Amino acid sequence: MLNRKQHPEYKTIKHIDIPVPEKISLANGSNIFIFNTGTQEIIKIEVIFDAGSWYQEKPFVSASVNEMLLEGTKMLNAQQIAEKLDFYGAFMQPAPTKDHGSITLYTLKKYFPKTIELLAESIKKPVFPEHELGIYKNKRKQQFIIEMEKVTSLARREFNARLFGEKHPYGYIAEADDYDKLNQADLLNFHKKYYHPGTCKIIISGKVSDADIKLTEQHFGQNDWIKQTDAPKLQLDYPINSQNEYIVEKEDVTQTAIRIGKIIINKEHPDFHKLNVVNTILGGYFGSRLMKVIREEKGYTYGINSVIVSLANAAFFVIVSEVGADVARDAVHDIEHEIKILREKPVTKGELSIVKNYMLGDILRSFDGPLEISSAYRSIIDIDLNPGYFHQAINAIKEITPEEIMHLANMYLNETSFIKTFAGKYE
Amino acid sequence: MINFERFTLENGLKVIVHDDPSTDIVAVNLLYNVGSCDESPEKTGFAHLFEHLMFEGSINIPSFDNPLQMVGGENNAFTSNDITNYYINLPKENIETAFWLESDRMLSLDFSEKKLEIQKNVVIEEYNQRYLNQPYGDVFLLLRPLAYKVHPYQWPTIGKDISHIRNASLQDVKDFFMHHYAPNNAILSVAGDVKLQEVKLLAEKWFAPIEKRQVYNRNLPKEPAQKEKRILEVERNVPYDAIYIAFHMSSKLDKDYYTSDLISDLLSNGKSSRLYQNLVKKHKLFSDINAYITGEIDEGLFIIAGKLMQGIKMQEAEKAIYEEISQIIHGPIDEYEIEKVKNKFESTHQFGQLSVLNKAMDLAYQELLGDAGKINAEVENYRNVSVQDIRIVADKMFKSENSSTLYYYSKNNR
Repeated sequence: MLNRKQHPEYKTIKHIDIPVPEKISLANGSNIFIFNTGTQEIIKIEVIFDAGSWYQEKPFVSASVNEMLLEGTKMLNAQQIAEKLDFYGAFMQPAPTKDHGSITLYTLKKYFPKTIELLAESIKKPVFPEHELGIYKNKRKQQFIIEMEKVTSLARREFNARLFGEKHPYGYIAEADDYDKLNQADLLNFHKKYYHPGTCKIIISGKVSDADIKLTEQHFGQNDWIKQTDAPKLQLDYPINSQNEYIVEKEDVTQTAIRIGKIIINKEHPDFHKLNVVNTILGGYFGSRLMKVIREEKGYTYGINSVIVSLANAAFFVIVSEVGADVARDAVHDIEHEIKILREKPVTKGELSIVKNYMLGDILRSFDGPLEISSAYRSIIDIDLNPGYFHQAINAIKEITPEEIMHLANMYLNETSFIKTFAGKYE
Repeated sequence: MINFERFTLENGLKVIVHDDPSTDIVAVNLLYNVGSCDESPEKTGFAHLFEHLMFEGSINIPSFDNPLQMVGGENNAFTSNDITNYYINLPKENIETAFWLESDRMLSLDFSEKKLEIQKNVVIEEYNQRYLNQPYGDVFLLLRPLAYKVHPYQWPTIGKDISHIRNASLQDVKDFFMHHYAPNNAILSVAGDVKLQEVKLLAEKWFAPIEKRQVYNRNLPKEPAQKEKRILEVERNVPYDAIYIAFHMSSKLDKDYYTSDLISDLLSNGKSSRLYQNLVKKHKLFSDINAYITGEIDEGLFIIAGKLMQGIKMQEAEKAIYEEISQIIHGPIDEYEIEKVKNKFESTHQFGQLSVLNKAMDLAYQELLGDAGKINAEVENYRNVSVQDIRIVADKMFKSENSSTLYYYSKNNR
């Protein structure tokens, strides 16, 4: 007779194969990281520069440069680029972030020679035509204004500003009108200064042959684009917050967006990987304590999570949720209570082994296929795609004890040190 | 080419196996042939609420998530108008845990008032987060009932109204389970480094003992042909006006389906597409415009949705859309352009088959439509569409009497 109460034998993940990239350093300073893997005849190539909003002197410049790379070059206009890309069934995805400007090409392998040419041309020789810039600005401005109707966007903006300071590149409060102030010269200057081989990293994955690598070298390894420049490094100067609750009022809301967190250690700190386990227990997966209490016990929200965001020049911890506007205070009370428990009571063996196994499974999944491998390595671009990072993460997960968890929670996650921001109603 | 094998258990459960030795992850996907179209008009949102309850513990296993996380697995589910689909992704060594968990919740759930109460609250917050507390979030709550008068596609999966969720009783929930959740109303597909024999043994062990059930016999009313243009005007607290036009189109099993999908690609797939080039870039009428099909199994909708640039009049925007439509019917379409959208489909299809999870989902869904083998015919089906087909289908579909238009005005602009 089948005993359905008895689970099948749980087999722990003994070994995780961590793919290691083949690295080619080119004479002009750029670096290629190659993962030849997968079963499908496709290639993903991402080209990344130190060209995020961190470096901009005017709001929206870095994102506009990044998103307008495809809007015209010396040889091709925006429509011609779009036509060609679409004809080859390729996708080009710009991704402006706080630290980087990157652009990813997804292409069938058979069209790689054609599509990489478009990619290289767009990155190296964009002209940011006035006319296209005008359309882009108006469009983006409207989208920005719509975005600012969302409580989650308002809370994010407020949180970053309070955490880093309004003048800090990570915390700057941009306004819709800032789009009006952008001009072509800003974009050209920014591109000239920051899209250069010196910080260029290329991650290529899929069915990558020697010929494909050669092509990549030809397109990105020559001296036919701008020379290396030095980007200024700003000094971090955090604000002293006189209060710890900030509310962006919005009328007629059914939910209030919450962001609670603080500045924390980044991924190069020796405690980082273990702190990540602490974070996972609290709010880093579906079975986390915050999900169990705020969603599954109280029904205050559709979802809640916490995360450690490690940027190139700072890191922060944040708890994110949208909760019923009438229960926002209760939710915050419960969130704080959960952090207190984490600091004061050791995690049970059972819970810890669930979290450990879940996290190991997650690492295994993050190397499942060429797209995932490339994304996993993209997340450690600032530490030079060092595979050691993943080994350290695995060791930290395997080693951590309930005592260490309590210790780390006390050291880094004291709830009295948090900045709390709300958008919507908070009464 | 996706190779697969399949078999059916005596209780009617269909099983599909796709062997992909290139990965250490295995995907186990269980599709139930029940969606929001199976709800009664007085109790909408039920299929989706039920999906939430499926994670609240089953008859022999108090927690669904804990054991799965214990073996390094991850899971989720979605509900559509047609189906409810559950999936698990886990290290291949632990595949049996997925069979144990999925079979127990097919056998029976551990129903309780308390769990129901909590999940009702969670779903209400989901309703708030996704539909009410978002700019333009209520569009489908308005557009669906405008386009459908008879067919249950007239409500979105979240439900017509929050009160339907609030009023759900434990008896309703139990009835729903007995009528729809059964081995003979489900398709299991497994993809990863697995062999047919192994899956057979596991399926026999865990699923075969579940008895066949008397399931509800789906018999959906057919939406009568629309005779006149339908219009709804609303005013909302949003920054810009928007327009949504829905045309009735073919069912998923009709060959016109592929043609309609390609028409939507001609209009708006990629930056070189017609609506983007002409209406966003050239005429600067919209900040955003899209054409797409809703993709249901019964007759679905072809939707054109655009947000107007500040200062543009609704009539002007609508007229421009109809001019583009008219160009599809009467204007030039060269082979190059058709080739382009077909290439794009092929590429999207290839990228869609990169993960075992996507393959498992797709195989189960194609089997529901009649034959999992159709997964390998998809590209060909799109390749076979001609310019002539496009004109005929467009002419039939894009009639104003076949349309439902939602004028979504900004309060500030009026």
